[in-house]
Amino acid sequence: MVVGALGCVAMPGKSSAERQALEAQNARVMAVFEAAGFDHIAPDILQPADIFLERSGEDIRANSYVFTDPEGAEMCLRPDLTVPACRYHLAHAARPDSEARYCYCGPAFRFTKDARLLSEFGQAGIEWLAAGDAQGSEAQVLALTIAAVRAGGLKGFRVKLGDLSLFHALLDGLEMPRRWRRRLIHHFWRPQTFRETLTRFAALEDQTRTSISPFVDKVVGKDIGQTQGWVEAELDRGAIPLAGGRSTEEIATRLVEKAADRSAHPLAPAAVKAIETYLAIEGNAASVLAPLEAIAGGEAYRAALKRFRRRIEAMRERGLAPEDFAFAATFGRNLEYYTGFVFQIEADTAQGPLQVAGGGRYDDLLSDIGSAVPVSAVGCAIGTESLLAAAGARS
Amino acid sequence: MTALVLGVPSKGRLMEATEALFGKGGFAFARSGSDRLYRGHLGGVAGIDIAFLSASEIAGQLKDGKIDLGVTGEDLLRETLAPEDARVDVLQRLGFGPANVVVAVPQSWFDVARMSDLDEVSEGFYERHGRRLRIATKYLNLTRRFFASKGVTGYRIVESLGATEGAPAAGTAEAIVDITTTGSTLAANHLKILDDGVILRSEAVLAVQARLAGDQRVAALRAGLSRVVAAA
Repeated sequence: MVVGALGCVAMPGKSSAERQALEAQNARVMAVFEAAGFDHIAPDILQPADIFLERSGEDIRANSYVFTDPEGAEMCLRPDLTVPACRYHLAHAARPDSEARYCYCGPAFRFTKDARLLSEFGQAGIEWLAAGDAQGSEAQVLALTIAAVRAGGLKGFRVKLGDLSLFHALLDGLEMPRRWRRRLIHHFWRPQTFRETLTRFAALEDQTRTSISPFVDKVVGKDIGQTQGWVEAELDRGAIPLAGGRSTEEIATRLVEKAADRSAHPLAPAAVKAIETYLAIEGNAASVLAPLEAIAGGEAYRAALKRFRRRIEAMRERGLAPEDFAFAATFGRNLEYYTGFVFQIEADTAQGPLQVAGGGRYDDLLSDIGSAVPVSAVGCAIGTESLLAAAGARS
Repeated sequence: MTALVLGVPSKGRLMEATEALFGKGGFAFARSGSDRLYRGHLGGVAGIDIAFLSASEIAGQLKDGKIDLGVTGEDLLRETLAPEDARVDVLQRLGFGPANVVVAVPQSWFDVARMSDLDEVSEGFYERHGRRLRIATKYLNLTRRFFASKGVTGYRIVESLGATEGAPAAGTAEAIVDITTTGSTLAANHLKILDDGVILRSEAVLAVQARLAGDQRVAALRAGLSRVVAAA
């Protein structure tokens, strides 16, 4: 890597030999996807920025190449190919929920200061939309990803699995206010905040006074309508304009929730124990079945577990060995989009472990980008330069 | 030995306070010649030239290594330099120009006191309004770092280059991150600072290239200025 005079990393480009090696590898990868019946499309590199930024929030924006086109529209270089492939689907499919199988290979762009990563890199992947058999399609995507990285020349690698729907289902069955459940799910990916939140709900330590406690005092015992009336009268009294795009009903709803927190029972020790026991589970994907089943979850949890078991079976049917895959209940904490099954393929290089592929289920994305009906989706993406580096390190 | 270059704000209160403080420390500003508005040199210690620069440029010039020392607001320094950037150090806090960089929301948000409330509001905002909660600010980096440290991700920054405090009333943002000294501008715009919303307690600082830590001229400057600041 070349470091320029001002300390910035220059973009060195690829030599003829590097380009040929990459293209040959990508051709082998794509042949696996195409042979499995996936339609090879080319989503646009230039994308409207809003769809990524509104969906993802500021942390993605900080790593995105965003610019203004000559007519003033905010555009970006795609940070991945999943959203562009889904936009392609919404533009071309007869109906959003028509089944479709796409594969693609092309550049994506994410700003990085990590010298081991590239800001301009290739992604080869598949997206399977509205598949009939959920667990079957998940196992199939995993099997194809493994076949593709092998076709690319990768020999030794680790497969990590997770399942975000198990955790959601576990919380669904535990007795607590809805708002607490939302907080726990929201903080799932930040272990420390999650722990603090859980402790607070268990001990009801959340009773420290804040600058809005006097307002909460006023609305204890009132319903949302009454609280909204109080909020409006208070705004009038102080001549405070209603700024910031939120209605008095929204403000009243949260005040009522805060008042309700004061009288909520702390989270039961058994519920805390169930959550902690669940999050500590890790092991190979077949061996974790027993500890997962030992947790006293509700009906939703048992249903999610049944899907987990069926997915393990579907993997075996496709010649995969779940014993070789590492499951961790906390895995997938910080992965975008995903709503259920998640996986990652990692290989060792001289510079340490390197992620070469990742994927999973993302059932909310198509609705988020404009589909009027829910569309189930599962897919994967392989980092083509990472795969080349990891395969080269082994040969 | 080549002279070191000290960047100083070229006008306004910050320039006057800097000149007064340096003067008390025995480092009078000497201006001469036809470029007296842009260049000068420091009395009391040999070998330090002064470059009078726009206050907003000084942090950037320190980052790029174009000046050796600079007087600037800590807010601009922290905004411009990444936290892991070890190339520039604060040599001396100067005790003037106090101001806080804060997160402020509309006073009408009776249900929002802390960053965790803002997080909860931003989380539901997309579903309710079909877009992200917007934060108007010129402090893109300070905002991103602080919000990330508090676990708030579901927002969007709207870059603001002036009159940031008016953004919520104008409907171009829901909340702001801005600098405030007394809080009266915020109050006049019906905004309130979150209980845990102080990102940085800033004041004017003298910053220096870390590679000059052992330089005798820098040591002399620091010794003289720290006496004045301590006595103030």
